[in-house]
Amino acid sequence: MTISAIPPAFIFIAGGLLLPFLKLKRAKQIFQLLIPTIAFIDLLFMGQGTYWTYHFLGYELIMGRVDKLSLCFGYVFVIIAFIGMVYALHVEEAGQHVAAFLYIGSTMGVVFAGDLFTLYVFWEIMAVTSVFLIWYRKDKKALDAGFRYIMVHIFGGCCLLAGIIMHIADTGSIYFNLIDLNGPGSKFILLGFIINAAVPPFHAWLADAYPEGTITGSVFLTAFTTKSAVYVLLRGFPGAEILIWLGAIMAVYGVVFAVIENDIRRLLSYHIISQVGYMITGVGLGTALAMNGASAHAFCHILYKALLFMGAGAVIYVTGRRKMTDLQGRNLYRQMPVTLILYLIGAFSISAVPLFSGFVSKTMVIAAAAETNNALIFLMLHLASIGTFFCLTLKLTNGTWFGKNTEGNGEEKIEGAREAPLNMLIAMGLAAFACVFIGVYPQVLYHILPYPVDYQPYTTHNVVNTLQLLLFAAAAFWLYIDKLGGKHTITLDTDWFYRIPGRLFLSFCKKPLNTFRSNVQDLLSKNRAFVASLSKNPFTIPSVLAESMRLKTTSVTDRERKEEISVRLNKLKSITYNENRYRISIGWSVMGCIGFVSVFAFIFFCL
Amino acid sequence: MAKILKIVFFICIGSLVLIGLLLHDAHARFWWEQIPDFDAIFGFLGCVLIVFASKALGHYWLQRNEDYYDD
Repeated sequence: MTISAIPPAFIFIAGGLLLPFLKLKRAKQIFQLLIPTIAFIDLLFMGQGTYWTYHFLGYELIMGRVDKLSLCFGYVFVIIAFIGMVYALHVEEAGQHVAAFLYIGSTMGVVFAGDLFTLYVFWEIMAVTSVFLIWYRKDKKALDAGFRYIMVHIFGGCCLLAGIIMHIADTGSIYFNLIDLNGPGSKFILLGFIINAAVPPFHAWLADAYPEGTITGSVFLTAFTTKSAVYVLLRGFPGAEILIWLGAIMAVYGVVFAVIENDIRRLLSYHIISQVGYMITGVGLGTALAMNGASAHAFCHILYKALLFMGAGAVIYVTGRRKMTDLQGRNLYRQMPVTLILYLIGAFSISAVPLFSGFVSKTMVIAAAAETNNALIFLMLHLASIGTFFCLTLKLTNGTWFGKNTEGNGEEKIEGAREAPLNMLIAMGLAAFACVFIGVYPQVLYHILPYPVDYQPYTTHNVVNTLQLLLFAAAAFWLYIDKLGGKHTITLDTDWFYRIPGRLFLSFCKKPLNTFRSNVQDLLSKNRAFVASLSKNPFTIPSVLAESMRLKTTSVTDRERKEEISVRLNKLKSITYNENRYRISIGWSVMGCIGFVSVFAFIFFCL
Repeated sequence: MAKILKIVFFICIGSLVLIGLLLHDAHARFWWEQIPDFDAIFGFLGCVLIVFASKALGHYWLQRNEDYYDD
């Protein structure tokens, strides 16, 4: 049966290209849901092995390397594609769906790519198609953020390409598997990967662009780019020690920035960075438990983060407001109770509350850190867990649905706020169900992980410790609850380094450089006739210039000399170019050539 | 309602501390895991630390007006 499977990337890409030809709204919607379903069935039919290999310029391109690792990511990508499409059913603009399908398809291409060339091609398609999910929001902020997003990803893509070329030159093979971290090639590949994984200091594109995406598009964005980067890191760089530290720093960094954020989707974006930090640490630790933990956490994270983004998106869709300062104290929980409950399931999952999905995956990574005796890493990951619970379950919930109105405008409810459309709620319900299901019955997830799992999350100790950690964080929150509302500010991040100098460069071009250009242009256009006369005969240019200078420097009183010079000048100017006059014998040319060749030979052979 | 919630919360916290005192971790890898109720202390102090560290960072350095990047 395995022969009949087709590349899942192809299903999504073909689906995306066919979608605009469907005219009926209902047909379009059915088609949107049909594509991920077909892809899922396709995955079920794909046995492990290598498929779809092509010979190209002496290399072997592999479109389908199917093993447990790629299948694990493949499954969750297809599931979230389906949920995201349900969430986006009400969007009528076909372009958005086309972009989403091409984006999903290229991510599937990355996941099943067995060689670096195929990987690179899909990697770039992923960057180019995903930016449309931001641009479709169509306001200036989104356009600008999209441009910055695509610039960073093009830079990352260039690093990856440079690394791949060097790697191929070194090893002679384009097969993508474990890459030794020595030599510049592997380092550039790693750099390309970690830019997509949003590892600080290359993370600012994420918090910059994801909150500006369309409400439905951002749900897709949260799932694919960073997690496909985690996948390629798991494949290429397991056990790279630098990743342990980068990951732990990331986990804490994201939390710290999330605490002071006001925009609800930007707050969630910082938590993507934080959560991906756990996965990166898992990749760096490189043990079977850590690799399983990273994969499992990616799986769970995709589901609950999409759920959280869907919840925040629903609030923005209904109210048109995206900042906590505009939402808190308006008692939104009365108008959107279902959204609140579904959102809370996502928040509990990301906070690793027992019986929710984050608990069964995050504790795996932390256990792996303990198992390898990384004390500081262990504490940093715990600290990030506390911050996650604090930000998402407490602060964001309070700031969006409850809280106090600090604006002083006395607004007690948001006019027209109601539950989100049914398709949005269904999508959130599906994701919430998956979160709880995995949390209660983790074996279903552990079964598809890349290595055999010998880990039990629900030990008394694990549960009690986690609950202590979380509830005491809640106690601390309770103490400071009044000081934790949003503020009308934005937070500077490393995107400052390209936004502000970029603007300075632009104003340098606009003002000083442009003035210089117009001065030069003025000068030349004023003396156009003179400059044109020079072109009559290139050979007399030096003497014409010299004579004109002499004419200018001669004092006005010395009239006789002035006249003499101008007569000479006119004479010079009247000489037109005549090829016979300046011709030299061919012998000179030959001698020149021989001279050049001997110098060249001397340099080539003797030095 | 808020009052009931508060009471339930304190009961939960209290019982967790008690259970924590009774538990002994045989698989502890780090010395601090031998301290009873370490996670409770760490949870509370960690949360305070994160809040103060990020608020301070934001207040003195990173937080700017919303029109900071506008032309």
